[in-house]
Amino acid sequence: MDLLSLAWKNLWRNRRRTLITLSALGLSLFLLQTFHNLSFGVYAQMVDSGVRAGSGHIALYRGDYAQSRDEELSFAEAGLSAAIAREPGVRAALPRVYLPGLAQSSRESRGILLMGIDPVAEAEVNPFWKNLPEEERITDPEGREALVGSRLLKELKLEIGNKFVVTVQHRDGELTGELLRVRGVLRTGLKEIDGSMVMVGRLRAAAMAGIPGEIHELAVILERAGDQSRLLPKLAMLTEEHPRVRALPWEVAMPNLSDAIRLDYASQKFIFAVILLIVTIGVVNTLLMAVMERIREFGVLLAIGTTPGRLRLMIWHEALLLGLLAMALGTLLGSAATWYLTARGLDLRALMPAGLEFGGVVFDPVLRAAWDVGWMLEMGLYVIGLCLLASIYPAIKAARIPPAEAMRHR
Amino acid sequence: MSLIQLNNVGKIYPLGSQQVIALADIDLEIGAGEFTVFAGPSGSGKTTLLNLIGCLDRPTSGSIRIDGRETGGRTAREMADFRLHHIGFIFQSYNLVPVLTAAENAEFTLMLQKIPKAARRRRVEELFAALGLAGLEDRRPNDLSGGQQQRVAIARAMAADPRVILADEPTANLDSQTSEELLRLMRRLNEEQGTTFIFSSHDPQVIHLARRVIRLKDGRLESDHRQSPKTAA
Repeated sequence: MDLLSLAWKNLWRNRRRTLITLSALGLSLFLLQTFHNLSFGVYAQMVDSGVRAGSGHIALYRGDYAQSRDEELSFAEAGLSAAIAREPGVRAALPRVYLPGLAQSSRESRGILLMGIDPVAEAEVNPFWKNLPEEERITDPEGREALVGSRLLKELKLEIGNKFVVTVQHRDGELTGELLRVRGVLRTGLKEIDGSMVMVGRLRAAAMAGIPGEIHELAVILERAGDQSRLLPKLAMLTEEHPRVRALPWEVAMPNLSDAIRLDYASQKFIFAVILLIVTIGVVNTLLMAVMERIREFGVLLAIGTTPGRLRLMIWHEALLLGLLAMALGTLLGSAATWYLTARGLDLRALMPAGLEFGGVVFDPVLRAAWDVGWMLEMGLYVIGLCLLASIYPAIKAARIPPAEAMRHR
Repeated sequence: MSLIQLNNVGKIYPLGSQQVIALADIDLEIGAGEFTVFAGPSGSGKTTLLNLIGCLDRPTSGSIRIDGRETGGRTAREMADFRLHHIGFIFQSYNLVPVLTAAENAEFTLMLQKIPKAARRRRVEELFAALGLAGLEDRRPNDLSGGQQQRVAIARAMAADPRVILADEPTANLDSQTSEELLRLMRRLNEEQGTTFIFSSHDPQVIHLARRVIRLKDGRLESDHRQSPKTAA
């Protein structure tokens, strides 16, 4: 028998109370871990969808194009996409041209954003292409076939196969028009895209604007999002020949998405803090009660030679064991829930048939968790720390009472 | 040389704005191997005197020496350490730790002294055999009778071989037959092992068995006499 085994026995002295406290701690940890892992998975999913359709994990822009969206800030592609795509860890490099313009059908006209893309590379990674039937996809970067946002199509009163005219500003300042044909319809669930996007081959778009061979954005999609910081400097080296071209992480290139995630996580953290505060009060109360009802016994232990330090240590051992058990219970339940939510997911299709839009990104309404083992461990250790913290006052109080006085305690 | 020496010891407890004199002007010497009882009515200062000798409390005035060592001016940790190595305690209501078995209770002070487990178990077996507790090692206090619990408390007090054992009203919760048996047991241990026993009691049985009776009244020594006690056998 040592202090640890004595602490273990003391812990089960009032079995019901210990079980209630353990359940409160374990369930809180389970909730924290499960909801965090669900958010972690959903955020990862959002970032993934966002970067594929948007700027990529890393975006290359000339000057401050990311902020100003000034179409004058284009740069020569000059084989850069192919060079970057060859880098280990890079899944795709997507050159893009963006041009504000006007679309006119025989009956209506609307302001649009003309996006010039590399159809082959884009088809592999862009989530907007996921629901696009094979026959609606464009393939020729120089062709006159276009993908039109579903709402825009309706507003222009167009149908697949119809022709329409797109007018953009040429680099020399003149307006230039081009006759395009609707090949497919973009149904993204995002108002901005569905209501104003027209996609054509990149070379066609560049030719319309009089910037042949130039692009506005090079979106780099990585195999693993975590490789971003490793690859950023490498890409910067590859663009050395392109003065004023900068490689930006997606958080900078897509501040809307990044801020939306940050804000959502901050509000979640606040709820986590409230849960932990409530549990902390419960644990302090339990430990204090467990100590106060044993004051007489502590008096006896002190009388027969237990030092105050050893008594404090015994109470801290009890708190440590409580924390370890709570960590094990909470992590077990949290892991089971995470496993389920990773494998099966949380299906919100019945609630949101049109899909879920958040931070300008549409993602799968089947929410899937992802393992954030480091955070789970951190929260588990926090629960242990919380128990130890909650036991400081009771332990100090117990060890300070003079033994003769403690033994008179009833 | 005396094992315990008290010089002009006094103890005053504050009670609101008043002060209660629990002990005053106690001069006392107790030798090694004595079997002494502090007798007197409730409130006479017996337990306070025992607590002072046992380093559970500090005197307001005077000095106490045990085994030639001054007990005053020590920190709480030093006092605990001193009690662990020099003093054994037996309490009126046994005060065993309910979550520990009889053997674990008895070996508690040895564990505090960091004695290896095997040596602790040997010592407990030896004591349990001497105290008639053999076979009860794994019982919890709640599964033992009052007399058995007090025997375990005696084993706990004796386990670390202290110089002196202090027993505060050890028979107050026991029936007369069990009390008699326990007192004779302690007398035998006193005679055979030379352990010094000091009791506080107003139980005539205890007083009759003691070799020395120190009577207290209103916190002062009233009398101190040695007697020929009943035999321990």
